[in-house]
Amino acid sequence: MTTVDIKPEVSSQEAAHLSDRAKAERNLGWKLAGPAFVIMLLVTLYPICYAVYLSLFNYRLTDPAGRKLVWLQNYVTALSDPLFWQAFGTTFAIVVITLIVELVLGMAIAMVMNKVVWPRRTLRTIVLIPYAIVTVVSAFSWKYAAQIDTGFFNHWLHTLTFGAWDEQFNWFGGWFSSIVIICFSEIWKTTPFMSLLLLAGLAQVDSAQEEAAKVDGATWWQRFTKVILPNMKAALMVALLFRTLDAVRIYDNPYVMTGGANKTTTLSMLVGTETVSRVEIGMGSALAVILFVIVLIIAFIFVKLFKVDLTTSGRS
Amino acid sequence: MKRMRPPRRGVAVSAAMLMAATGLAACGGSDSGSGPAKLTWYINPDVGNADASKGGQATLAKECSDASGGKYQIKVQLLPNSASDQRIQLLRRLAGGDKTMDLMSVDPAFVSEFAAAGYFAPVPQSMESNFKQDRVQSSIDASTYDGKLMSVPFWSNTQLLWYKKSVAQKAGLDMSKPVSWDQLITAAQKTKMQIGTQASLYEGYAVWINALVAGAGGQIVENPNASYENIKLGLDSQAGKDAAAVIQKVASTGVGGPAMGSATETEALNLFISPKGGFLVNWPYTYGAYTGKDKADVAATTYPQTVAGKQARPPYGGIQLAVGKDSKRPDVAYQAAACITSQKHQADYMAASGNPASRKGAYDTAEVKKAFPNGIAETIRASLDQAEARPLTPYWGDISQAIQEKWSPPSSVNQQTPAKTQKFILDVLKGKALL
Amino acid sequence: MDTTMSNKAKNGLGLVSIVIMIWTIIPLLWIVATSLKSDAALADPKQNVLGNFWPKDISWDNYKLIFSGGASDLFVPALWHSIIVCVVATVISVALATFCAYAISRLDFPGKKLILTSSLAVSFFPVIAMVTPLFNLWRQVGLFDTIPGLIIPYLALTLPLSIWTLSAFFQQIPWEMEQAAQVDGATSWQAFVKVVAPLAAPGVFTTAIIAFFTAWNDFVFSSNLTAQNAQTVPAALNFFTGASQFVQPTGAICAAAVIVTIPVVILVLVFQRRIVTGLTSGAVKG
Repeated sequence: MTTVDIKPEVSSQEAAHLSDRAKAERNLGWKLAGPAFVIMLLVTLYPICYAVYLSLFNYRLTDPAGRKLVWLQNYVTALSDPLFWQAFGTTFAIVVITLIVELVLGMAIAMVMNKVVWPRRTLRTIVLIPYAIVTVVSAFSWKYAAQIDTGFFNHWLHTLTFGAWDEQFNWFGGWFSSIVIICFSEIWKTTPFMSLLLLAGLAQVDSAQEEAAKVDGATWWQRFTKVILPNMKAALMVALLFRTLDAVRIYDNPYVMTGGANKTTTLSMLVGTETVSRVEIGMGSALAVILFVIVLIIAFIFVKLFKVDLTTSGRS
Repeated sequence: MKRMRPPRRGVAVSAAMLMAATGLAACGGSDSGSGPAKLTWYINPDVGNADASKGGQATLAKECSDASGGKYQIKVQLLPNSASDQRIQLLRRLAGGDKTMDLMSVDPAFVSEFAAAGYFAPVPQSMESNFKQDRVQSSIDASTYDGKLMSVPFWSNTQLLWYKKSVAQKAGLDMSKPVSWDQLITAAQKTKMQIGTQASLYEGYAVWINALVAGAGGQIVENPNASYENIKLGLDSQAGKDAAAVIQKVASTGVGGPAMGSATETEALNLFISPKGGFLVNWPYTYGAYTGKDKADVAATTYPQTVAGKQARPPYGGIQLAVGKDSKRPDVAYQAAACITSQKHQADYMAASGNPASRKGAYDTAEVKKAFPNGIAETIRASLDQAEARPLTPYWGDISQAIQEKWSPPSSVNQQTPAKTQKFILDVLKGKALL
Repeated sequence: MDTTMSNKAKNGLGLVSIVIMIWTIIPLLWIVATSLKSDAALADPKQNVLGNFWPKDISWDNYKLIFSGGASDLFVPALWHSIIVCVVATVISVALATFCAYAISRLDFPGKKLILTSSLAVSFFPVIAMVTPLFNLWRQVGLFDTIPGLIIPYLALTLPLSIWTLSAFFQQIPWEMEQAAQVDGATSWQAFVKVVAPLAAPGVFTTAIIAFFTAWNDFVFSSNLTAQNAQTVPAALNFFTGASQFVQPTGAICAAAVIVTIPVVILVLVFQRRIVTGLTSGAVKG
């Protein structure tokens, strides 16, 4: 296989020849890349388009005769419904809490991993484990840890606070404490990914620059905010984008832990309930489309406003 | 066409893999040719689950297969624990046209929905009298939709009030007469004991609420056969408020225990077994499943009254047997259902699993009296006559979910809850609100 | 490396590292501990030590339950489905993505950027949004609760990821060596076997691991598009029932969770470095 690296002086004949080769390369490129591209679009875009179509109907699976074209009624209902906004609020509460904690924690872990001498390898390996754990498993683990009858949280907190903590505290009895446990599981599971991305960013910070700042008498905080952070902005933004979009779609954790009790239903769970348990295919599809649009908007904000450039990555 | 090869190969490889995978999947469910008809029975979890040696539905499946003389062979498939999950599993398979849906154990709350959607094979005319024979009326009602028998009454559940004799005595509560919820709460407060209830966000909570409303003389749905546009609800009423008052009081006094809002039958039973447990509303299996050392102290009576002096309407539950519309052998499946629901099998099943029979005759057998001694068997039988099924409307799934959500957590329930819930349910059914 | 770091700082960082590792490990130990508790120990804190954490008496009942007892009907097939579906989805998507990424990194053709951008955009799809239409379609065409019915949506998870990660890998490969080999008189095939394949293999392998993890992790598709014949472990965990209706399946769920966790933890321990490279090279310029 050849490339077009060698560029001879151009005569008209050779130009024609070159464009032939370019054409051949173009053909080959699409033949190699095409199948993956087409299949990818088929398995993802097709369902979305079908969802847009279904969302225009009032369609209950167990009542096929009652199927009715209602145009945008489902969207109007969904967007004016308190339940939707409650799910929206819960989802974004989870997004904000996990994002802030993970950013701080992930940054701290990344800096430790960057500087630590011993136990360097072990730390980097152990920290990666939660990433590989199935989310549902993580959810069950934290759920059982917090439950009154099977758990250890209450016992440990009881001991640590010298008996001030109520051993019978019901973590899943209220919105806030449920969200705390859901966030714990989410943070535990995804901080490693965050810290790895940040570590890769840290590796790009010019250590000479940092040294120079040190010599100039800059404090640790000044060095961190003036030298380290600006230098790893790209990595930071990518990590933020990935995590935000991940957290917006949160489903497994709250599903396993609360099943949506105490207003802990997230947007993804709402789509699931409408579709799977209520078999309201039309409304479920409308909510799915709305969720999709929310994700698009967030991605758009990141890419346009924060100028996150993803496509040039990996280029040397 | 040399240049075409790479993409084609890619497609061919993936196609071949999909094919291989399909083949694998197909191997699982194929039954070939002659021999006994292979029936699949989707069972809800019970005493033995898939283990045929424990006397559960798996045992009935085996005994009926053996007794059929090679006519059919029943294989059991276990459904999930909660009624809502069972519904989703069954619904998805029925909607997906699953051909293995020969027999299924269906919660009576969902019989109407499935029947209205046309998911069940019709009950053969000739067998109808057999399936109605000697059954308690509530079980026949629960099997009927729009005047037609749609499923086979299998076992009939009802909740009782379980109590520890020592606790009742200490509280000075006379258990020989019907007691009200108010009396119970006072007794629990006095003795610093707790009452096991089901108030987690799940079907069991709707069971409790329905029983409370019915006990106060109300009905959540007044015209169960109506379409969603014409449905009339009776939650926004004095009966609804009475029901809300009970739950409000149980939650606010703390007698429901710290985990009341996430308690299902299992947690409620565990609470009752623990040293803190004094009272419990639960199904009859409680007696068999009671593992505490003080079992002699445990007794049962009729479900508590919502309003003192007004007869209680205990929850009706249980299981109906239904045959799927896409079953390959509906005729054989109904024959199997007849075997499963024979009086002997119902009595056996009741004795082993603690799930009460729908046949009246079963309560007079020695084995049932042995399994439910001290008059508990008679209490169950009497309770079944008072029992009120959940509304037999195809929309019960939505209505129940709406109720559960508006009444959760139990500590948030107040006198406005029933009216708010009623409005919400109507909005949901008309597609004007989400659930 | 910062060689000027004092011993005190080194030890301090070491200590912090240990704290981080404990935080990472505790939920795992916890799930192992829970899986080793008998039903009695699960209900009674007195039968456990360390604040209801570790059981006094280790019980293997939960493992028996999922492999040979009542839960085996659910768990053992689910384990097979998980393995089959995830491996097939991974192989298909990595195979397709290898051609695609090779073209993107080696050939000049219009639409490269389009492919990369859309593979990224597609990986941001809320998977739950695909469930509704797929469920409705699958039940009509008979793919509901079948292995292919799960492999196809899994491609939506693994394919974009594979294209993206592999493209990043391939762009870092010094392809000039291939040309050099050809100039040296090797045939295309020899050049491919001797030069290209060894260069590309680590990237392909790592991508496969990451894609496999992603598929292995799925809960949304499996719990909504299957019932029994194709259900994978994460979905099956939710439908576990205890030995009977009166027993909460806590122990059995934990035992099953431990089983599905073991292979991924081994993969992480063995291929830690590669996975880190794979995860970060796709996302960060470098």
